[in-house]
Amino acid sequence: MFRSIMPRALPRAVRPTPITRSTFCASNIYFQGRSKRGYASEAEEKDLVIIGGGVAGYVAAIKAGQAGLKVACIEKRGALGGTCLNVGCIPSKSLLNNSQLYHQILHDTKHRGIEVGEVTLNLQALMQAKDTSVSGLTKGVEFLFKKNNVEYIKGTGAFQDEHTVAVNLIEGGETTVRGKNILIATGSEATPFPGLTIDEKKVITSTGAIALQEVPKKMTVIGGGIIGLEMASVWSRLGTEVTVVEFLGQIGGPGMDAEVAKQTQKILAKQGIIFKLNTKVTKGDAEGEGVSISTEAAKGGKEESIDADVVLCAIGRRPYTNGLGLENIGLETDDRGRLIIDQEYRTKIQHIRAIGDVTFGPMLAHKAEEEAVAAVEYLTKGYGHVNYGAIPSVMYTHPEVAWVGQNEQELKAAGVKYRVGSFPFSANSRAKTNLDTLGFVKMLSDAETDRILGIHIIGPNAGEMIAEGVLAIEYGASSEDVARTSHAHPTLSEAFKEAAMATYDKAIHY
Amino acid sequence: MNATKILQQGRQPMIRFLGKRTTPSTIDHTPKVHPASPTHSLPESFASYRQKAQQHGPLNQTNKFSTGIGSSSGSSLGPIEAGKGSFFDRSELPQRFQRLSWSQAEIEAVESGGASLFA
Repeated sequence: MFRSIMPRALPRAVRPTPITRSTFCASNIYFQGRSKRGYASEAEEKDLVIIGGGVAGYVAAIKAGQAGLKVACIEKRGALGGTCLNVGCIPSKSLLNNSQLYHQILHDTKHRGIEVGEVTLNLQALMQAKDTSVSGLTKGVEFLFKKNNVEYIKGTGAFQDEHTVAVNLIEGGETTVRGKNILIATGSEATPFPGLTIDEKKVITSTGAIALQEVPKKMTVIGGGIIGLEMASVWSRLGTEVTVVEFLGQIGGPGMDAEVAKQTQKILAKQGIIFKLNTKVTKGDAEGEGVSISTEAAKGGKEESIDADVVLCAIGRRPYTNGLGLENIGLETDDRGRLIIDQEYRTKIQHIRAIGDVTFGPMLAHKAEEEAVAAVEYLTKGYGHVNYGAIPSVMYTHPEVAWVGQNEQELKAAGVKYRVGSFPFSANSRAKTNLDTLGFVKMLSDAETDRILGIHIIGPNAGEMIAEGVLAIEYGASSEDVARTSHAHPTLSEAFKEAAMATYDKAIHY
Repeated sequence: MNATKILQQGRQPMIRFLGKRTTPSTIDHTPKVHPASPTHSLPESFASYRQKAQQHGPLNQTNKFSTGIGSSSGSSLGPIEAGKGSFFDRSELPQRFQRLSWSQAEIEAVESGGASLFA
């Protein structure tokens, strides 16, 4: 009678290595490694299933993998990194950097003692350089997944029940994956402008703006926030006449200090960008060859029509939860489509968490990254932390604009007594030698305790310099602390130190 | 004299080393408002869901291990035997504990004493 030596219900991993038929032994032993038996009928339950492989999702996946959890990450784009890596921060930085280089070679070499011959733009090659950077980085993330034992499922995930996610695979077919915990990190999408249909050729979002096939003669940008201004800068440098239409009275969106916004607008206007603030776009028409939009003064009155070859809608982004099957598990969103979470990123269903653009807070990649680490730590250690008061914002125009903490108008509104100190780059030795002296560092500190409340910078490399400001705010430093810290000479960071000196006492070089 | 006094005291920087970072010994895991929430309130559904939900035991327990059964020791969960007088059938257990069905090839292998494998 046939009788297996090992109990049949034992998992395969416990059983001895299968014996091949070429081995000479008793015939019944051949059955031990048979693959039909054991638990193979159903995929194992994961400790964590992540829907979305963007910055929030992939960072959480790697962190969870490092903590030894069994993780699966579902991504439908076919490439990891989400909006940031594929169609956002990274490709736009490539275009911003190279277009600035082109612009500088064209207009800013003679007085430096460099004579250049004919300079021509090869847009195709410019785009190729961007694509090379993007694919290198996304493949890098895929490698990190392998290194940290993260299962990467290419497909669109939708909730079947509270523990099961059905995945429509990119390569065809379906599968389901079960998780003890599920993390929603589906990110956001550009908010379309009502009345204009996005075709990513004539009426574009930021996604189309980084992939135009030729340099348009005229471009209208609806929305003077960070995304709108960065894209306006790129195409303006490449020769497009760009008009930015903004509903509010200042550029840069919420958070930017009014003085900084005003100065930035002046600098960008000098570079050739036309601004129409306090202006409302009433309708758009993309029927003809170009696109025409009608505007009127925000407070009513003067009407105008602006024609362009391309219109960029950059009025903001909205959480992306389409097709996620939230209705199957009864998860609700707030009035702006954000998933509602508690202090530990949990939705009302305890084991389902949400992080990144799909939930509260600023839609920034570095904020999503912080949340990813904290959410996984809540899961593995029971304790995580993100300081929402110390998240920097950067606009990568030239010069760059960066800030952290509160701005002057917020402090005034809150009735906080504060001190202001600022230092211009025109008085900084390194900026002078670089012939790149636009902008300033502005610091706000508590009038009584001198604790730094906000730092606002316009200037070369402001995005790098703000890191020192974030650290100061995170540590609760006073402006005197920063001022008494030695900064290398000659560097741009001396302007930061001098602004701190100006806040608690007086700057030396100004 | 005042200046000397200040010099003697030295400057006390606001940044001070607080020692190695540690996890707080007690953490309250009950849902509270997310710091970046624009409404500064949690909807009623959070409380009502917890009221009815049972996930490895009641959700409302606030001890350190309330997030999962895996973090408590087996003995603390009590015996696994059915209570006196109550019985359960193997078929009531989750799929993985149930009997496996025989495949046709296996039945043939048994009936032929393994000969069918070499046929």
